[in-house]
Amino acid sequence: MEPLAHEGLGRLLELHGRYTPLALGADSGTKLLPEKALGDGGALKLGRRKLALPPQPLGRDTAQAPFLALSDDVAVLDGGASHNPRQLLAALAAAREEAGWRRLLYTPAVEPAEMPLLTCLGVDLFDSLAAELHGAAGFRLEQGDWIPDGGATAAGNRKALAGWLGRIRSALEQGRLRELVERTALHNPRVAQLLHHSRDLLATRGARRAVEIRAGALSLGHPAVTEWRRNLERFAPPAAEMVLLLLPCSARKPYHWSATHRRFHRTLRELDNWLALHVVSVTSPLGLVPRELEMLHPAAHYDVGVTGYWDANEAAMFGRQLERLRPEDRYKKAIVHAGSASGLLAELLQERGVEVLETDAERPASGAGLAALGAACRTALRGVASLSGRDRSRGEAAGLARVQFGELAEPLLAASVQGRWPRLRLDGLANFSPRIGGFALTRNGAAALAAAGGPVVEAAEFKLRGDLFAAGVIGTRGEFRNGEQVAVEQGGEITAAGVARMAPGEMVAMERGLAVEVRNRG
Amino acid sequence: MADAFAEFVNAAKQEPAAHPLDQPVATWTEREVLDGEQIEAGVAILRTRGCYWSIREGCAMCGYFNDTVPGGVSTEALLAQWAQVLPHLAGKRYAKIYTSGSFLDPTEVPLDFAAQAMAGMHAAGVEKVLVESLPEFVHARHMDYGDAPALEVAIGLESATPLVLDKCVNKRLKWGGFTRACVNARAAGASVKAYVLLKPPFLNEAQAIDDAVASIERAAPHVDKVSLNPVNVQRNTVVERLFRRGEWSAPWLWSVVEVLRRTRECGVRVYSDPTGGGTQRGAHNCGECDQALLDALTEHRLGGAMPAAACDCRGRWKALLAQGGVRRDGAEPRGYRRGFRGGRGF
Repeated sequence: MEPLAHEGLGRLLELHGRYTPLALGADSGTKLLPEKALGDGGALKLGRRKLALPPQPLGRDTAQAPFLALSDDVAVLDGGASHNPRQLLAALAAAREEAGWRRLLYTPAVEPAEMPLLTCLGVDLFDSLAAELHGAAGFRLEQGDWIPDGGATAAGNRKALAGWLGRIRSALEQGRLRELVERTALHNPRVAQLLHHSRDLLATRGARRAVEIRAGALSLGHPAVTEWRRNLERFAPPAAEMVLLLLPCSARKPYHWSATHRRFHRTLRELDNWLALHVVSVTSPLGLVPRELEMLHPAAHYDVGVTGYWDANEAAMFGRQLERLRPEDRYKKAIVHAGSASGLLAELLQERGVEVLETDAERPASGAGLAALGAACRTALRGVASLSGRDRSRGEAAGLARVQFGELAEPLLAASVQGRWPRLRLDGLANFSPRIGGFALTRNGAAALAAAGGPVVEAAEFKLRGDLFAAGVIGTRGEFRNGEQVAVEQGGEITAAGVARMAPGEMVAMERGLAVEVRNRG
Repeated sequence: MADAFAEFVNAAKQEPAAHPLDQPVATWTEREVLDGEQIEAGVAILRTRGCYWSIREGCAMCGYFNDTVPGGVSTEALLAQWAQVLPHLAGKRYAKIYTSGSFLDPTEVPLDFAAQAMAGMHAAGVEKVLVESLPEFVHARHMDYGDAPALEVAIGLESATPLVLDKCVNKRLKWGGFTRACVNARAAGASVKAYVLLKPPFLNEAQAIDDAVASIERAAPHVDKVSLNPVNVQRNTVVERLFRRGEWSAPWLWSVVEVLRRTRECGVRVYSDPTGGGTQRGAHNCGECDQALLDALTEHRLGGAMPAAACDCRGRWKALLAQGGVRRDGAEPRGYRRGFRGGRGF
C-alpha cells in the first residue's frame, strides 16, 4: 500500500499491484463476493486477495454518525448513493478520522458521474452496480454519462466503467482531477451540489499541489483559488501610505516576465519615488495579486480566457477582495490602469472612500496607455513620502511570509532581509525559491517555525540522505497539509526542512511512499 | 445495538393526531373467499388504544399507531363505534374486525366489549370473523366469548428469521412463541392466518424474496393460510424515513409474484393483496404492467390461477436480483423501474 499521488482528499494508491480508485467488478481482477449469511456483508476481491466487508447496515440509521461501517481493511460509507449532499459531505469530512488511512474507503452503488468528485473527496473504492442496472435499462456508459442505446449491456458498461476509472486515475496522477470534476459537475445537478458543498473542505484540508489551473466557469470555487482569496486577509502592503497601482494581468506568468508588465516597469522606474507605488494585478479567478505574491501558486500557474467582460460573480469577488485588502486604511490613493476592469474597480474603490485616479487607457500597454500611466503616477506620487529600497524589501518579505506562513511567520521576520524582490532572503532562515514561489525554509528557518509551534515531522534516528519516506516517520506535531513546508526532527533535533507530500495522519499510518520531500539539510 | 434501532424506530414516530373516540377508523367491504365460495366480506377498523408494542417501541414498518388514541378508549366509546359497525355487517357471512393493535389484548379491547361484539355478529348471521393479534395474547381465555361466529386469528409472523425480526422489523417474537400461539388458537377452535412481510426495511430485493419464501415454508405446517404483505410506506415510520432518503424502495410486484410462485407447493394457501399496490409507497413495477398484475393478484387471492404478465421491466427486476448478494440496502437508482424514461413533467 503506497500512496503515489494526491489531489484534494483523494489518493492514487498502489495496492497489491493495482491502483485505486478502483471500481469493483469493472476493473479487471476485482469483484464483490456475495454474502455467505444474511447481512454478513460479503467480501471483495483484489486479485488473489480477499478483504472482508463490514456487515450490512441492518437497523442502522445511516444519516447519523458513525457514518462508516468498518471491517479490518475496508470502511463502507453506506447510503452514499442517496444521502443528501450536505450529509454526504459531513460523512466524508469525518471519514479519515473514523476509518484511518490504512482502510480503503468504499461507497457502494454510486453513479459514475459522481466518481471523480468522490475520488477527490477521498473515496478509494466504487462498484459497477449502478452501471449494470443502467445496462439492463438500455443505457450505455460513455465518459461518465448515460447514452440511450438498445444494445447496452451490463458487461459493456462494466468495461466502459473500467475505462472511466482509468481516466480518473490518470487525472489524479497528473493533478487534473479537478478539471474532470468540474466537467462532470457542469451538467449533473447532484455533482454540482456536492461540489458546492465540498468547497470549504477541499480548500482547508485538501492536498496543495502546484498544478496549472486552466480556468473555466467553475474555477471561482477551485480550492487553490478559494484559499488564495482567503489568504489575502493575511496580506499587508510593504509600507504605509503607498500608492496602490492596479494593473491588468498578463497571459504569461509570472506577470513580471510578460512583455506588457516589462513595459509598465520601464515606465514606472523612470519616475521619482516609484518604489512608493504598490503594484497589484487584477485578474479572474484570483481577484487581486499583489506583486510580491505573484510567483506563488496559483498566481503563477493559471490560464484563463480573457474576454474583457466581467460578470456579476467576478464583480462581487473583486468587492470581497478589496474588503480583505482594506485599501482605504492602507494606501494614500489608488491609480486604476487595468484595461477592461478599470471602471468596475474604480467604482468599488470609490465606494470604499479611496481617492482614485483613472488613466482611462483602453489599451494599457500601448504608447498612449503608458504615457497616461506615467502622467497619473506622477500626479499621484506628488507629496507621497519617499520609500527606500531597503524598507520596501523588508515590507515585501513580511507580506509574502505572512501569506505563506500566517502567524508562524513572526520568528522569520526577526531576521534581516537581504536582496531585492524576487530574490529576497531572510538571513539564514529562508531564501526565495522559484519552485516554491516564495520563501523556502532552511533547516534553521524550519526550526524557528517549529519552536513557535510550527509543523514538525518526527522521524526515526537514521542518517537522512535523500527524501524522508513514510516508513521512517514516527509522528507529527503542529498542523500541516500535504504540500506545506515542514521541519524534520530526529532525536529531538531538527535535521532538515522540506515539503510534506502526505497528510500528517497518513505519513504516520503508511509504511511506504514519499512523506517529506527534503529540500535543506543545513 | 437493538437499543439504537429501537431509538431509531421511536424517533421516526409522532404523537397520533386527535381522533373522535366514537367513530371507527374506517369500514368497507371487499371480495373474499369463504368455504371455496366468493362472497362480500364486511371490514371495520375500530379505534382503540392501539398496539402495546407500538407504545413501548414499535415495529419499523408499522404506522398503525397513527390511528390510535394513546389514553385508551372506554368500553362505552367502543360500543358507540360498534353501533356504527354492526349495521355495516348486516347480511355478510364473513367479517374482519381490525384494531390497529391486538383484538385479543384485553387491555386494548376489553373482554366484555369483545363478547358483546361477537354475540352481536353471531346474531346478525356472520359465520366467520377475522381478528388480529400479537401471538402473546392468543390464548383460550382471551377467546372465551360464548355465542360467537367461527374465529380466525391472524398473527403477524413477519419473518421466521431472528436477524430480520431483530434488526429489520424490531419485533421481539420467538419462533416458539409463534408456534405456541398457533397451537393455542387451534385448540380454541380458531383457524390461523399468518402475515409474512415482503421486503422489510434494510433488506435488498433478493434477500427479501428469499426471506419471505423461507418464512412461509417454515410457517406453513402451523397455519391455515398465509397472507404475504409487501411492505408499504406508512406515515412516521422508519420505512418512511428510508423511503424519503432513497435508501429503500417498496418491493416490485414481480417479487410478490415470485414469492407466490416459489411457495405454491408449501401446503397452505398463500396469497397477497398489496396495500398501496401500484403506487410509489406500495409494491409497484414500472407503471405499465402494475394494474394487470394487481388484477391478477386479486384473481389469485379469490382462487384463480398464478398471476402472470409480460413486461419489459421484468428484465430490469432480474438484473436487480442478480446483485442480491452484494447490494447493501434496499435501494435502487431513481427511476430505474421505469427504465429511466418518462416520469412527470418531461
